[in-house]
Amino acid sequence: MTANLLASDGQAFEPLTDAFAQNPYPAYAALRDKGTPQFFADFDMWLVTRFDDVAAIARDISMVRSPEFFMSEEEITEQKRLQNWLDMPHHQRFVQFSMLDSDGEVHDRLRKQVFREFTPAFIARQRGMIERFVEKLVDSLIGKGEIDFVEELAAQVPGHIIGRVLGVPDEDCPQLRVWSERVVQFFDIDRSDERKALAEQATTEFYHYLLKLMAERRRAPQEDLITRLMAAQDAGALNEDELVSTCMLILMAGHGSTIDVLGSGMHALLRFPDQMERLKADPGLIHTAIQEMFRFESPLPFFHRYSTTDCVVGGQGFPRGTKFGLLYGAANRDPAQFENPDTFDVGRNPNRHLAFGGGAHFCLGNHLARLDMEVIFTTLLKRLSSISLVDAEPQYKRGLSVRGPKVLRLALTPA
Amino acid sequence: MYRVTFIDADGQVTELTAQQGQSVMSVAVANGIDQILAECGGSCACGTCHCYVDDAWIGRLAPPDDSEQGMIECLMNPTTRSRLSCQLKMSDALDGLVVHLPREQY
Ligand code: HEM
Ligand code: FES
Repeated sequence: MTANLLASDGQAFEPLTDAFAQNPYPAYAALRDKGTPQFFADFDMWLVTRFDDVAAIARDISMVRSPEFFMSEEEITEQKRLQNWLDMPHHQRFVQFSMLDSDGEVHDRLRKQVFREFTPAFIARQRGMIERFVEKLVDSLIGKGEIDFVEELAAQVPGHIIGRVLGVPDEDCPQLRVWSERVVQFFDIDRSDERKALAEQATTEFYHYLLKLMAERRRAPQEDLITRLMAAQDAGALNEDELVSTCMLILMAGHGSTIDVLGSGMHALLRFPDQMERLKADPGLIHTAIQEMFRFESPLPFFHRYSTTDCVVGGQGFPRGTKFGLLYGAANRDPAQFENPDTFDVGRNPNRHLAFGGGAHFCLGNHLARLDMEVIFTTLLKRLSSISLVDAEPQYKRGLSVRGPKVLRLALTPA
Repeated sequence: MYRVTFIDADGQVTELTAQQGQSVMSVAVANGIDQILAECGGSCACGTCHCYVDDAWIGRLAPPDDSEQGMIECLMNPTTRSRLSCQLKMSDALDGLVVHLPREQY
């Protein structure tokens, strides 16, 4: 049953409507203005929207991702049955278990196995590779006059780059995108049996693909993440299921999110032409411009935590086991933290946004996502003399968990 | 109350006070030292609270643990004086600590 009402005052909150998809920010502001977390029965959780509250929960080690600390084995099984998960053996084994959904020692151990590949020093070494890849892609599009920026450009980059870090050959990357989209579809708002079957099948195929890739690396090790993870497995640092799950998480977490923020970031530059001109005139602003794109249209605006102790949020007390919904997208527009929060300012600095979360689960791929964006926007602004919107009002994806345009048709004029 | 001093890449000096057990990162963030980003909020998971401990102090600190050391090796421009400020907790032994800030964290 969805009622779309807040428990405190019965006011409507309708995150699955088209109006919300086009502009969620008035609804976020209304939630923030209430001052305290708001119970939303449809999701069975307390929505937290003020910057300080969201940041405090994300960074609090007593707030966890997995509810299992306060549930018995039977309750866990019962919940999985209720959520209809038990008949998805591979999805359950590799997707529903992950670094993201583990806490404490397991989380630390898994994260330690992969963090090197995503640190600033390692990511900086990928710059040349990303630049060559993007340059070639832009060569192939620049004469076209009109493109769908989302499909033809944004969607072509992040998967390939993550694929290369992981060790997936270029020719297999398009298939990875299909799998990862099907696997995450399962989490969509309108989950159906058909989508469930698709998600399970994609996970299974993905698993068999990774097994094959691992067998190849066994014969001929390479300088890539999958080879290093296999060495870690041999050393007893993680088991094979954890290895597969981690590879899948890395591929899925960084894929759709980067595509979405490339689209919404480009759209923001077009909605604020003075900011586009400012960035063109001073390319040194690219770092702050990209941070502002993440703040302004946070592509993954919603994650959850459970409290493991009695706690106080926004001045209100909550018992152990409370589920909180952290609305990063709402926190990032909080006027108590950001001056003129609804203005897109490519020079905003400092800009301590929460688009990558905070605390132990702080986005592993943040440097890679930012570098992809930096290379793409820098290349486009250099190679195009003008970019303009074909449809004045691009449609955005529906739902609380994602934010980005479905399609962004652009007219391009080469420089 | 303890004292801790931050010196930025241009040589600008900021002296601040800290509580027992407070991390150097949290002193910086609470006082608007923008070079300390601290994106993970002190979980030793982001490497954006990098600082260089002053020569006079480096020998007086306990060495980094494995997880801090692993992160330090992956920072931009690490040196033997590199530390994660979220892992430095103020105490009697650190009263008067001086740290230098990188121009940028990444
Ligand atoms: C637009 C780009 C991206 C955004 C907005 C984003 C956002 C986030 C956020 C908000 C979280 C924390 C979730 C929470 O608070 O519970 C997270 C975690 C994570 N992200 Fe990203 N992400 C992006 C790109 C990437 C990329 C490119 C990768 C990898 C290649 C990646 C890998 C991960 C992983 C593995 C985690 C889980 C980390 C953990 O649990 O310790 N992300 N991301
Ligand atoms: S604040 Fe993230 S490592 Fe120190």
